[in-house]
Amino acid sequence: MAQSKAVPNRGYGRWTPFWFLAPAVSALLLVGIYPTIFALVTSFRQYNITRPRDGYPFIGFSNYASVLTDGTFWTSLGTTAQFYLTVLPVQIVLGLSIALLLHKPGLGLLKSLARVTLVVPLATTYAVVGLIGRLIFNRDFGVANQFLDTIGIGGFDWLGSTSGAFAAIAIMDIWQWTPFCALFFLAGLSMVPGEIEEAARLETSSKLAMLRYVQLPYLLPSLTALLILRSADVLKLFDMVFVMTRGGPGSATDLISIYIQRVGFRVFDLGMASAQAILLLILTIVISRLYIRVLYRENY
Amino acid sequence: MSFLKLENIKKKFGDATVIKGVSLSAEKGEFVVFVGPSGCGKSTLLRMIAGLEDVSEGRLDIDGRDVTYEEPAKREVSMVFQSYALYPHMTVFENMAFGLRMAKIPEAEIKQRVGEAARILQIDVLLDRKPRALSGGQRQRVAIGRSIVRHPKIFLFDEPLSNLDAELRAQMRVEIARLHRNLGATMVYVTHDQIEAMTLADRIVVLRAGLVEQIGSPTELYDRPANIFVAGFIGSPKMNFVSATVLGIEGGAIRIGHPSFVGGSLSASPRIGGPLPKAGDKIIVGLRPEHLTLRSDRPVLTLTLDLMENLGGSTQVYARSGADSVTLLTPGRPAMQPGDSFGAGIDPDHIYLFNEDGAAL
Repeated sequence: MAQSKAVPNRGYGRWTPFWFLAPAVSALLLVGIYPTIFALVTSFRQYNITRPRDGYPFIGFSNYASVLTDGTFWTSLGTTAQFYLTVLPVQIVLGLSIALLLHKPGLGLLKSLARVTLVVPLATTYAVVGLIGRLIFNRDFGVANQFLDTIGIGGFDWLGSTSGAFAAIAIMDIWQWTPFCALFFLAGLSMVPGEIEEAARLETSSKLAMLRYVQLPYLLPSLTALLILRSADVLKLFDMVFVMTRGGPGSATDLISIYIQRVGFRVFDLGMASAQAILLLILTIVISRLYIRVLYRENY
Repeated sequence: MSFLKLENIKKKFGDATVIKGVSLSAEKGEFVVFVGPSGCGKSTLLRMIAGLEDVSEGRLDIDGRDVTYEEPAKREVSMVFQSYALYPHMTVFENMAFGLRMAKIPEAEIKQRVGEAARILQIDVLLDRKPRALSGGQRQRVAIGRSIVRHPKIFLFDEPLSNLDAELRAQMRVEIARLHRNLGATMVYVTHDQIEAMTLADRIVVLRAGLVEQIGSPTELYDRPANIFVAGFIGSPKMNFVSATVLGIEGGAIRIGHPSFVGGSLSASPRIGGPLPKAGDKIIVGLRPEHLTLRSDRPVLTLTLDLMENLGGSTQVYARSGADSVTLLTPGRPAMQPGDSFGAGIDPDHIYLFNEDGAAL
């Protein structure tokens, strides 16, 4: 009797929650946690799969030392940072503008249509975005050059020139991710209570003041999440760029993940590639914490 | 000249017309209360004065200026919302100062104005707090303070007290009345609470289904309601209505027959005037619960007791007279049992009469 009092009858057994959670947890272990730990372990090994006879001995931090003294790694990281700083401001400004337009009352049907359309770039696979990009920026028959022709500038070799290739991958990334920003901001804008917006409308007729003082505070959580997601995403952006430019011409679009892929699967030095990947993971975490500390405010 | 003037204001949402042509005007310094059941359009009307809702038809003047299509911020009105609508990320001071900062008022004057308003509302110690650290009553004071500092031409209140508990509501009601007296400002106040309407208003506008039923001072509405709707809406508990038949006209008075009347009939004079009913017409007799007296020397009504509610100092008595139910409010605690028959008296001057269509006689 005493025992039945201590353990309330919850209608399910002790292990039931475990079995419900097990599929999700094992999937997560398989695709997320195990590879990460594998990479972490590999990063401390000499691990070149073309030379299996050398074995995979632990070599301490020497992979990390090579990475940190590798000029190409830093150049790639620099290119990635440049890419990030190019696309993100554009995505935020464009996304916010679209969100503000969609947030305005009226035109219900057209706006729900626009919202659905926004999902299309998000649902497109990176590799397909890359393929589309190759078609758009083709020197001979791409629409980008056709458009330039109409305004009198012709024959620009987008993917063959360093600045052109960088611009092309940036434009494709902006195309793919601006809608994501727009949807994020739209969600943030809809968090602003109607009466608070109305109270502000009685005090100022400036849309800019409204955005800055009333709506922006509600957008900060969205903005933080967005910055974190985009930093992580740009650091691992691979497929689209690989399909469009393979990092070239030269090293113009050699983003960090392209470089890591080259080290891992061209040179087959997986130990070094793992060390690079782990460093990127640490970088992502540091950037995320920074954004959270600077921008994020508790919800009101 | 009237300070606030609405001329045949209409509001349509698609095919539905929610405000069907409202005209009214208010003098400077007047306290006008819009009252009515939910869905009557009182809040929509207020929001149209604020500019938060477009006017579909008609004209709106504030202080002699046509503001029908003016932006809200340029109408020089301020509004206190039901949910207070304070900016959650700003301190109390910043909340109150926001409108002034937007209007580019010098910082020194802002400090002085906010300080003054905070003193009036006794929130000077809260100026550095964020709204979430305030109680409901304090938030409402801040919201009112935010209105005061802007020195608006008109203060608008949209059911400002309905989120407060009963005690605080009574207290804030008194404070709003005091504020109105001290500032001498024009105020338009929306409520569904007829007690707030009665106690605060210089003039009450009773609305129903997008139309004005009656405009008048609280006393006017109580003493001379234009129709059954107003009579039933103003006064608490609600006025009793007994359907009866006109027996005849005797001098200025109407002789009315109903089986519950002692002697089968009673005589009452119309309050409003207008055409008198003919013998045989249906007539509705209105009796306010607080005017009916138990154990009267000259009982008018014979009633059967249904239920009694003891309110402590007084008792609310629910009784029946034939098909109609009648409520009485009586001091003390009468010793009666359900099913008991008793007589109730009323001063003939306190009898209200309405014709079949509900218009007051």
